[in-house]
Amino acid sequence: MLQKQVLENFQKIVGPENVDDSEVMTNAYSYNWCMEFVNSSEGKEPIPFSSIPKAVILPSTVEEVQQIVRLCNQYKIQFKAQSTGLGPWNQPSSENCVILDLRRMNKIVKIDHRSLYAVVEPYVSGAQLQAETMKFGLTVHMPGAGPQVSPLASATSMNGPGFTSPHTGHSARNVLGVEWVLPDGEILKLGSVGMKNDSDWYIGDGPGPSLRGIMRGWAGAKSGIGVFTKVAFKLFPYPCSTKFKLSGNSPDYEFEIPDYMKLYVMDCKSYSHLEKVFLAIEEEEISFICSHLSGYGLGAIFSNSIGSLMDKIPIAGMLVPLVVLIAARTKREFEYKQKVMSKILIDFNLENVIGSKYTPNSLFYAEALRSNLGLHGFIATGGFQSSKGQCDTVKVCVKTTKESIPLKKKYIKKGVIGNDFGEGVWITSYESGHYFHIESPTMFDQTDEKSVKGMAENMEENYQFDLLKHLGAPFFVEGDKMHDLFGPEMMNYHIWLRKIKKAFDPNGIADSGFYISAK
Amino acid sequence: MNNHIDTLVHSLAKICGSKNISVDPNVLNPYSSDMSFFKGNNPNLIVWPSKTQEVTKIIKLANQMDFSIVPVSSSSNDRHHGDTIPRKDNCIIMNLTKMDKILSIDKKNRVVMIEPGVTFEKLIPKLQQSGLRLLLPLYPTGTKSVLTSVLEREPIIIPRYHWDTSDPLLCTEVVFGTGDLFRTGTAAGPGTLSQQKKAGQAHVNPMGPTQFSPYRVIQGAQGSLGIVTWATMKLEFIPSEQKVFHYHSNNIEELLDFQQKLANYRLCDETFILNNLNLACLVKKSREEIENLTNSLLKWNLIYILAGRGNLAIDKLNYLEGDINDLMRDSNLTHLESSNLIDKNEILECMNNYTAEPWRTRYKGSYQDIFFISNFENIPKYIKKVELKHPENLGIYIQPINQGTSYHCEFDLFYDSENGSETNDLEGKFNEISIDLMDCGAFFNRPYGYWAREVYARHIEQTSTALRKVKKIFDPNNVLNPGVLCFDK
Repeated sequence: MLQKQVLENFQKIVGPENVDDSEVMTNAYSYNWCMEFVNSSEGKEPIPFSSIPKAVILPSTVEEVQQIVRLCNQYKIQFKAQSTGLGPWNQPSSENCVILDLRRMNKIVKIDHRSLYAVVEPYVSGAQLQAETMKFGLTVHMPGAGPQVSPLASATSMNGPGFTSPHTGHSARNVLGVEWVLPDGEILKLGSVGMKNDSDWYIGDGPGPSLRGIMRGWAGAKSGIGVFTKVAFKLFPYPCSTKFKLSGNSPDYEFEIPDYMKLYVMDCKSYSHLEKVFLAIEEEEISFICSHLSGYGLGAIFSNSIGSLMDKIPIAGMLVPLVVLIAARTKREFEYKQKVMSKILIDFNLENVIGSKYTPNSLFYAEALRSNLGLHGFIATGGFQSSKGQCDTVKVCVKTTKESIPLKKKYIKKGVIGNDFGEGVWITSYESGHYFHIESPTMFDQTDEKSVKGMAENMEENYQFDLLKHLGAPFFVEGDKMHDLFGPEMMNYHIWLRKIKKAFDPNGIADSGFYISAK
Repeated sequence: MNNHIDTLVHSLAKICGSKNISVDPNVLNPYSSDMSFFKGNNPNLIVWPSKTQEVTKIIKLANQMDFSIVPVSSSSNDRHHGDTIPRKDNCIIMNLTKMDKILSIDKKNRVVMIEPGVTFEKLIPKLQQSGLRLLLPLYPTGTKSVLTSVLEREPIIIPRYHWDTSDPLLCTEVVFGTGDLFRTGTAAGPGTLSQQKKAGQAHVNPMGPTQFSPYRVIQGAQGSLGIVTWATMKLEFIPSEQKVFHYHSNNIEELLDFQQKLANYRLCDETFILNNLNLACLVKKSREEIENLTNSLLKWNLIYILAGRGNLAIDKLNYLEGDINDLMRDSNLTHLESSNLIDKNEILECMNNYTAEPWRTRYKGSYQDIFFISNFENIPKYIKKVELKHPENLGIYIQPINQGTSYHCEFDLFYDSENGSETNDLEGKFNEISIDLMDCGAFFNRPYGYWAREVYARHIEQTSTALRKVKKIFDPNNVLNPGVLCFDK
């Protein structure tokens, strides 16, 4: 709870109805997905609750966010901002913290279909924005977390791989203008939107050095460097016809598949072959989706329940599958892309099982267009989280996959994580094969203490493994403990990151639990 | 030599040998000016390091002995924008032209690793031998440093490959103003470079390490935050088929409209719009040829290239050409006039190669360029404004960048620098036009020389404040190129 005077001052900013420090509300906000294994990693009780925030505040404008942050500085109370709020990164790391729930900032500010970008506030979801951009024949990059999450959060603060990354890149690289409330309460506007007159959102870099480099890296700062209130990011040509016709009832909708889409699922049979095929396809710049999943993962993306997963044995038995979706705007483009794929199938002695051994439900195509494939990771045990998260060449991704199998099997054998034969990874290409990332979705039971603890141990061992084998830095190098582990092995970057934190947050007001403290 | 310089020479000689230092006024004088109107100081000396360790030691020495360093990488004296002219006393030039190794060419991962002294004339042929191509700016000068071009965010001519403003820059090795060595992106580790390579990495992910991306702040900093000692850059395969299209019109809006659609659907490789004079300068060499071609062309010229590779190259070109024809029909652009006035190979030469001398100097010997970033809608407004003030001897270049989300707009003011009154007149116009453009919303994202003060004055104060915090972190003693950007305080 807040002291009475502090509460009143927050109420003056947003109105009494938009601040709540009651026990029931603050307790509800302390829950989040995967909090239990974060707690376990930190040696705490493996419950899905974080520290309880002092209050939850719902600002509706950048000016209100600024005033709240200034008040936090005045009272030395930390803040944690959240948009759509999925995952432990949205949680406070101490009890001296208020949550800024940005759900009232929910506007699509602008869609500039000539300059191919959109400007959004934090609580706009990917699905909501995509529905609007489709009217202009455009689409938006959505992270693997799905269309229900905030693309602003992904672009500014989180990570950004997506199933459509060959075509739509990575969230961090799609950013244009940004409106950003710094931890000291100043409002910074990056790029062309920072001009005093005639400002607009079309570029986020300059004048001079790009402060996007302070804003985030491969991973975002998870509110540890301020609050992002608007962001512009690139839009992309919608890959095919924008007709989107669904019928039936959840979860078994029927989807009228648009013209000019074709799915390929091929068994590369060996990892070395996978590497070659991945590169060959991506060099041709034809894919909308190009992902490697394990046999189990492949079965899962076509399933909505454990029961339906069992029907997928013919494809789930594949050794090293590769999923490629091509989509085209015109018949000519479609025919060309199919020709390229046919040639690759012959050159690499591959068989496309779609249409012969397996025909997916039409809903798969809707989920592919909506970047909604990640949800299938939950069907087996109800919970999953990814270890790994490295990003560079396809070679390092494949090597990481292969070499990590025994490690994953160890935890499968212990019975603490789901059995995907140790092969369960997701590798996707970005920007037509210019780089790739791997993550290892790992299924566990969030309601089982042994499983949660095992998952936490599995993550820890993976970090050590990746460090030892020089396989790159995984996703979740965040928080002081992890930065102090990886920093000395990575050019002492943590020293520079701490200097940034100190310079931009002199009072340590932005919660650094998933970023870094100035120490 | 005074005592201070004497001591400095002695100290630097210990680091990189006396033969790599010069205090000869004939060597130093060219560094006190360039082709811009910017006036600065003479450097005290020039030093040519050849290794990263030497760069590190020199920067550490600068912190100890209180001198400043201006880095220079291009091998010619054709420098343009005043960013390498010392602004303060007690400054040395660090000339990086001896660090000119192509460290690796990785065809499989489409990436090259180069040192700062590698020029376009060195790198382009080497890559061509491997079937690869750089993402080039428009017909670069051969002696220009590739790394400088990329660090300065010169626009590249294939917008569909321009995924991020920072492209084609990937990972870097940089010595910050503190003298600390750092590697950005995946090159940071874990592990040494050779351990990373052994694990299969090729330094193709520029983001990070972890939760910040220092390469973005080094880029566009005009050497004021760190000195890059190598970088990796994104490459593409050389197409086996390229087909040139040239449309000209007296109405720029319809060409912009057409080009926007090409960019939207990522249908072409290279594409840009030039006015008749600039296109003539690009493809012709003598003044007479330039004038003849200028007079034959309609005012605005859209160039785009379709490209394909391998056995299906022609299939690809056919599908692209067919789709573009449909697009023209659906957009009521079929009346656009295709031009055959220029040999297509002449255009391809400018797309695929470097030029021995800057093409912008071909018409009158000298030029001053005013360039900035615009959104799509405002381009005609800016053109009208500049043409009103300077209707003659004006080259115009419009380049979609970052996959068509913004446009590099460039106005090349051609003049004869040997003619004093013409030069004086042009200097006045250059300043006046620049300010006018800034006042009506042109975004000068690369604020060189005298522009910097004006540009930052037109931005919210928080921009300069934040940048100064960054400067304080990476170059607390202000030893690197002091006075540039908003770092004059």
